[in-house]
Amino acid sequence: MAESEARLKSWMLGGLDGDAAAHSELLRALVPLLHSFFRRRLHGVEEDVEDLVQETLISVHTRRASYDRTRPFTAWLYAVARYRMVDHYRRRRLSVPIEEVDDILVTEGFEDALSAHMDVDRLLSALSPKQARAIRDTHIDGKSIAEAAVGAGIGESDVKVSVHRGLRAIVNRIRGTS
Amino acid sequence: MKDTQELIETLSRDVRRVSAHALAMRVGFGIAAGSIVTIVLVIAVLGVRPDLQVAMHGFSFWMKWIYTGSLGLCTAYAVTQLGRPTPASLRSLWFLTIPVLILLVIGIVELARTSPGNWLPMWLGRSWMICPWLVLTLAAPIFVGLLWSFRKLAPTRLRAAGATAGLAAGAWAATIYCLHCPEASAIFVLTWYTLGIALAAGSGALLGPRLMRW
Repeated sequence: MAESEARLKSWMLGGLDGDAAAHSELLRALVPLLHSFFRRRLHGVEEDVEDLVQETLISVHTRRASYDRTRPFTAWLYAVARYRMVDHYRRRRLSVPIEEVDDILVTEGFEDALSAHMDVDRLLSALSPKQARAIRDTHIDGKSIAEAAVGAGIGESDVKVSVHRGLRAIVNRIRGTS
Repeated sequence: MKDTQELIETLSRDVRRVSAHALAMRVGFGIAAGSIVTIVLVIAVLGVRPDLQVAMHGFSFWMKWIYTGSLGLCTAYAVTQLGRPTPASLRSLWFLTIPVLILLVIGIVELARTSPGNWLPMWLGRSWMICPWLVLTLAAPIFVGLLWSFRKLAPTRLRAAGATAGLAAGAWAATIYCLHCPEASAIFVLTWYTLGIALAAGSGALLGPRLMRW
C-alpha cells in the first residue's frame, strides 16, 4: 500500500527534526515506492532495481538538507531517484565491457528497432519511388490499398502491381546478395 | 530485501537534526570558509594596498565593492537554488545585468570626462594582464568551499551548478581582491574583474560534472 504525500512528508519533517523513528518509518515506506519507480523504468533488471533502491535511500538520508520543507516531498524524492538512475546508467555505460553492450541494447529493444529501420530504408531505397512509396504505405504505415492509391494519386491496381513488383525485387535482391 | 532492511536500520541510527535553513547556511559557510583562505592569501602574498584607509573614503573603492559584492550575493542565491534536485529557476541570474549595466553607465561617463588620449591607459590600468588571473586564482579556495557545501546537497544539473558556483567564487574573490588592487576606473573593473569572474565561471562549468557528482 503506497503511503500518501502527507504521511511521507510528516515522517520526513519528523526525521529532519531529529526523530529517528519517523526517519526509519519514512525509509521503510519508500522501499516499495522506489521499487515500482525503478522497475517501471528498467524493465526487470532486478539486481539493478535493488541497487538503485538502496542507493536512493542513502541519498535521501545523506542529502536531506536539500529538501525544502515548504514544497511537496514526493517531487523531491523522485527528483533524487531520477538523478540516481541517470547516474547509474552513466556509470555503467562507462564501465560496461564492450561485449555486453549488445545485451544492454537488446534489453532496451533499441537495437531491433534501429536496425529494422535501417534495413527497411536501405532496401526501399533500391526501388523506384512509386514502388517504395506503395510498400511503405501499405506494409509499414498500415494504410489500405484505396488510401494508398488516393495518397499517391494513382489507381488501385497500380498500387497492387507496384507492391507486388517491389516486394519481388526486394526478395531477388536479398537472395542475390546473401 | 534483507540488505535493504539492514541498510535502513544503519541509516536510522544516525538521524541528526537538520535546520530548515540548513541549505543556505551550508552554502554561506562554504563561501565564508573559502573567503577566509582567500583573504589570508591576499594579505600574505599580494599585500593590502597601502592607501586602503584613504581609498575607503573614495568613490571608486565602493563602486568596485558594490559591483563585485552584488554579483556575489546574487550568484550565492542562485547556488542555493541549484543545490536542490527539483527543477530550479535561474531567473535570479538576470539580476546580474543590473550591476553590470550600472557600471557600464559609470564607465561611459568617466570616458566622456577623460580626453581620448587617456582612454587606453585608463582601460588597461597597470595590472590588466594579471588582474583576471589573480581573480581566477583567488576564486579557487572559495570554489573548494562550495564543493564542500555541495557534499550534502543534491544538484542535478551539474554543469549549471558548477558554472554558478564558479561565478559566485569569482565574484567573492574579486570582492576580496579589492583590498589589494589599486585600480580605480570603472571601465577597468568592468572589463578585467568581470573577465576574471567569467574565467572562474567557465572553470566551474568544466569541473562541475566531474567534481559535483554524487
